[in-house]
Amino acid sequence: MSWWTRKRKEEQLEEEVRGHLEMAARERVERGVAADEAARGARREFGNVELVRETTRDIWGWNWLQDAAQDVRYGWRILGRTPVLTAVAVFSLALGIGANTAIFSLIDAVVLQMLPVHKPEELMQLKMRGTAADRPQPTFTNPIWEEVRDHQDAFAGVFAWSSFTHGQFDLARGGPVQYANGVIASGNFFAVLGVRPAAGRLFTAEDDRRGCPGVAVLSYGFWQDHFGGAASAVGSTLSLDNHNFQVIGVSAAGFYGMDVGNKFDVVIPICSQAIFTDDETWLTRRSTWWLDIAGRMKPGMSEEQLNSRLAVLSPQLLTPVVPTNWQAENQREFVKRVLVASPGGTGVSFVRSQFQQPLTILMGVVGLVLVIACANIASLMLARSAARGKEIAVRKALGASRGRLIRQLLTECVLLSSAGAALGLAFARWGSTLLVRFISTAQDQVFLDFSLNGRVLGFTAAIAVLTGVLFGVLPAFRSTRVSLTAAMKGGQAEDSERRMRFRPAKWIVASQVALSLVLLVGAGLFLRSFAKLTAVDAGFDRNNVLLVNANLKTAKVPAEQYVATYEAIEQRLKALPGVVSAGRSFTTPVSHMEWNEDVHTDDAGGPVGDAALTYYNFVSAGYFAALRMPIIEGRGFDKGDSKTGTKVAIVNETMVRRFFRNKNPIGQYFRGEDEPGNPAARIQIVGIVKDSKYDSLREETFAQAFLPITQILEGDERENFEIRTLMQPSALIPAVQEAVGGVNKEIPIEYRMLSRQVDDSLVQERLLATLSGFFGGLALLLAMIGLYGAVNYLVNQRRAEFGIRRALGAHPGAIFQLVMRDVMGILVMGIAAGVCLAAASVGVLQKLMFGLAARDTATIVAAVGVMATVAFFAGYLPARRAMRADPMAALRYE
Amino acid sequence: MKEMKERYQNRIELLQGTLDLLILQTLQWGMQHGYGISVAIRARSGEILQVDTGSLYPALHRLEKQKWIAAEWKTSDNNQRAKYYRLTARGKKQLARELSRWEQLQGAIAGVLKVE
Repeated sequence: MSWWTRKRKEEQLEEEVRGHLEMAARERVERGVAADEAARGARREFGNVELVRETTRDIWGWNWLQDAAQDVRYGWRILGRTPVLTAVAVFSLALGIGANTAIFSLIDAVVLQMLPVHKPEELMQLKMRGTAADRPQPTFTNPIWEEVRDHQDAFAGVFAWSSFTHGQFDLARGGPVQYANGVIASGNFFAVLGVRPAAGRLFTAEDDRRGCPGVAVLSYGFWQDHFGGAASAVGSTLSLDNHNFQVIGVSAAGFYGMDVGNKFDVVIPICSQAIFTDDETWLTRRSTWWLDIAGRMKPGMSEEQLNSRLAVLSPQLLTPVVPTNWQAENQREFVKRVLVASPGGTGVSFVRSQFQQPLTILMGVVGLVLVIACANIASLMLARSAARGKEIAVRKALGASRGRLIRQLLTECVLLSSAGAALGLAFARWGSTLLVRFISTAQDQVFLDFSLNGRVLGFTAAIAVLTGVLFGVLPAFRSTRVSLTAAMKGGQAEDSERRMRFRPAKWIVASQVALSLVLLVGAGLFLRSFAKLTAVDAGFDRNNVLLVNANLKTAKVPAEQYVATYEAIEQRLKALPGVVSAGRSFTTPVSHMEWNEDVHTDDAGGPVGDAALTYYNFVSAGYFAALRMPIIEGRGFDKGDSKTGTKVAIVNETMVRRFFRNKNPIGQYFRGEDEPGNPAARIQIVGIVKDSKYDSLREETFAQAFLPITQILEGDERENFEIRTLMQPSALIPAVQEAVGGVNKEIPIEYRMLSRQVDDSLVQERLLATLSGFFGGLALLLAMIGLYGAVNYLVNQRRAEFGIRRALGAHPGAIFQLVMRDVMGILVMGIAAGVCLAAASVGVLQKLMFGLAARDTATIVAAVGVMATVAFFAGYLPARRAMRADPMAALRYE
Repeated sequence: MKEMKERYQNRIELLQGTLDLLILQTLQWGMQHGYGISVAIRARSGEILQVDTGSLYPALHRLEKQKWIAAEWKTSDNNQRAKYYRLTARGKKQLARELSRWEQLQGAIAGVLKVE
C-alpha cells in the first residue's frame, strides 16, 4: 500500500470516527441532554479513539512499519547506553565484514564484472578447437583474422587485438626504459565495442591497412598522467620502441581495454606491427599466433545459432590460410578445426585465471572468520540480555508478545551489524587496494577498477543482515523465555536455570573451536606448501644476480652487428668491480619466455609426442658460472662455439634420462622438427648440466638443451645478461648503465633481480600462505577470547557454589578440576568436530598444494596441538582464579 | 495487543465471530453507516448489546478487507458525509454460513445445559 493511499485511508477513518461522534452527540441533544455533555457522553461511549485507530491500522497491516520504526529508535537508545560494548561489537564486525567485502569486491572486479563498454552481454569471444574434446584455444594468426574479418557473416561486428600480457612499448629513446602498456588492435576495435573518443578521434578501418603509417590512440588515464590532459596531446608524436607514432585521439574515461587486471596506455593498429619488425612477417606468417578475436552478436541471435553458423563457415575461412610449412597431416587437421564462440562480456584475464581459485578459497576463509567473530558477539549479547532480564520481564508484563520482543532484540543486533558494515566498507576499500598491491609483481602490475556497484553493496547489506540475525537469534530466543516472577524479584535464578543458561555458551565456544581448527589446518597446509616451494632446489643460485635486458632492435643496431655488440657489453660487464661472473642468454629462469621443440635422436625408438618436447635456451659461455649451474660431464661452451662452428649443445640430466637411457650422450646427436623442404640441423652434445627449473618452480623438470647464443637464428634483438655480484645487485645498476652506454648510448636497458623474479613467480602461493596464516591466527585469537569469556562467566556464576564447597572443606585443586573438566569438555567436542570438518573439506585444496597431500596427518596433528595448548591456557587462567578465590568473599557476594 | 483488546470488550463478552455475525445480519436490511449499525444492534437486542465502538470499527474494516461488505461515502439525511456499508454477494454467503454455525452452537450448548 503506497504512502499516498495510506494517508488517504487514515483521513477517511478520522472522518468516519468524527461523523460517528457527531451523530451520537446529536442523538443525545435530541433526547434533551446539554450540548457539551452530549459531546462528552458520546466520546465516552465510543471508547478509546486511539485504540480504534490502532486496531484498524493493525487490520490494514500497517502496524509492522510503525513497530519497526519504534524498534529502531529504541534499539539506538539502548545501544547508546553501553557505548564500550557497542563500540567493541561494531569494530569487530567492521573488521569481519570489511574483510569479506574486500575479497568479494576483488572477486567482483576480476571475475564477475562486465567490461565497461556498450552492451557487454552481446560480446562473444572467438576460439578454435580441433576435436570436440579439445580445449578451445583463443589465439589466432593475422591471416586467419583477415579472413574472418572479410568473410564472416555470423557476427554483427568483429574485432581483434593482441593477446600479449607483456605488450609494452618503451617511450624513452635509449637509456633506462620507460614502459607504456600497449595494445595492438584492429581498425574497428573501438567501433564494435562502442567506445567513444574523449578527444580527437578513434580508429577506423582506414587506419588498419597494410603499409599504414604509425598512428596511436591514448587511454584517458595515460592522457591525464603523461600529458596532463592537454589538448595538444592529439597530433603530437609518441616514440614507441624508437619508432614515431602520431597520436590521433584519446579513448573515453573508464575504458581499460579487453584485459581485466591490466590497463592499456596506448593502442596502435594491427598493420603497424610491421613497423617494429621491418617486414610484414607477423602479418603474413600463418604460424605466428598472436591475436584474440571477439565480436558482437546480431540482435535476436542465440549462442547456439551463432555456433552452428560458425561451424558451417569454419572450413571456408580456414582453408585459404592453412600454414604451408606444416607437415601434410597437420595441415589436414588444421582445416578440420572449428571456430566456436563463447560469452566474452567479462573480457579476458590472466589475473582471473591465476587468482580465481585462491580468491574463492579466501572468501571461504574470511567467511568462517566472520562466523567465529559472530559467535563472540553472540556470547556478548547473551551476557547482556541476561542483565536485561528485568526490562524484558516488565515489557512482557505490559503485554508485549514474545515475537514482538524477539523482533526488538533482533533489530538491535541488525543495527549493530549495519553500523559494522558501514564502517567495514571503508576497511574494505583499504583492504582491496592492499590486496591488489600484494598480487602485483614487477612484471605484472595489476590494475582493477573497484566501483561500489550494486553487487558489492548488495553483498555487504546481505552480510550485515545475516550477521545480525546470526548472532542475535540465539540470545533473543533465550532471553525472552524469562520467567516473569523470578526476574521481577531481581534475584539470581536457580542453579539449574543458571546451568541451562550456560549450555548455549558452551555450544557456541565449541563451534568456535571447531571452525578455527579448520582454519588452522588450512593455514598450516598453505604455509608448509609455500615453505616447500621456496626450498625447492631450482638448480641455480638465485641470490645476488642482477638481470639486465638490452634491446638492440630499438637502438637501431644493424643485425650483423648484434653478436659483436653483445660480446662487447658482456666483456665490459665482466670487468666491472664487484662482479664475480657474467653471462648472457635468450631467456632467464622462471620468466615467461619459452622456446621449445619436439626433438629426435638418431635412435628410432626414442620418445615421441609430448615426451619429445624439449625446452631450449641460448646461452653464452659464462652463463653457467653466473648462475652457478654445475656442468657434470663434458665441457662448457668456449670460443670455438661461434656462429660458424659446429652446432653443439649442452643438455640437462632429464634429457639424458629421457633420450639416452643407458648410453653416454656426449658425442651423440639430436635434431629438432623437420619442416618440408627444410630438414632440421643435427646438433652434437658436448656436455651435461645439472637439472634446473625453466618456467616455474612447481614444474616437473623439463628436458632442456642449452645452445650457444652465437648460433641463435632469430629472436636475438633483445638478450638478457646475468651478472653475479658480491654486493647488492641493485647497487651495480649505475655502473652497468655506464658500461652499456659506453658501447651504445641508444640501447634501452631493463633491470631486474633474479631473486625477485623467482619470488614474483610464487605470488599466488604467497598470497594464500600469508592471508590464510593471518586469518587462521585471527580465528584462533577470536576463539580463545570466546573460550576465556565463557569460562570466566561460568566461574562467576558458580562463585557461590565454589565458596560453599571450599567452606565445606574442599581442596582448591578440586575446584580447579571442576572448572577444567568443563573446559576439557568444550575442547574435546570442538576439536573432534573440527578435525572431522577439516578432513572432509581440505580435499578441495589439493590442486594448490605442493609436495604435500591435502589430507596431511602431520598438519592436522600440529594444528590440534596448537589449538589444545592455547585453549588449555585460555581456560586455565580463570580456573586458577576460581581456585584462588577466597571462600568468604564468594559467600558474602551472594 | 490481543490481551488489551479483550479488556475493552468487558460489557458483554462477545466472541469476535459473533460481532461479525451481528453486523452482517444488520446490513442485510439495507445500507448503513457505523453509528447506525451500533444503534440498530442496541435497539434490536433490547439495549442489552451495547457494542463497544472500539470493536465495531475494527470489525467493520476487517469485514471490508475480507470483501464481505463494501463501503462507499454518501451524504446522510442530515446532509452529513458518512461511510455507508452494504452486504456483498460473498457476504451474503458468509452470513448464511455463520447463521448455520450459530444454530449449531446454540444446539450444542443447549444440549450440555439441559437439566434432565
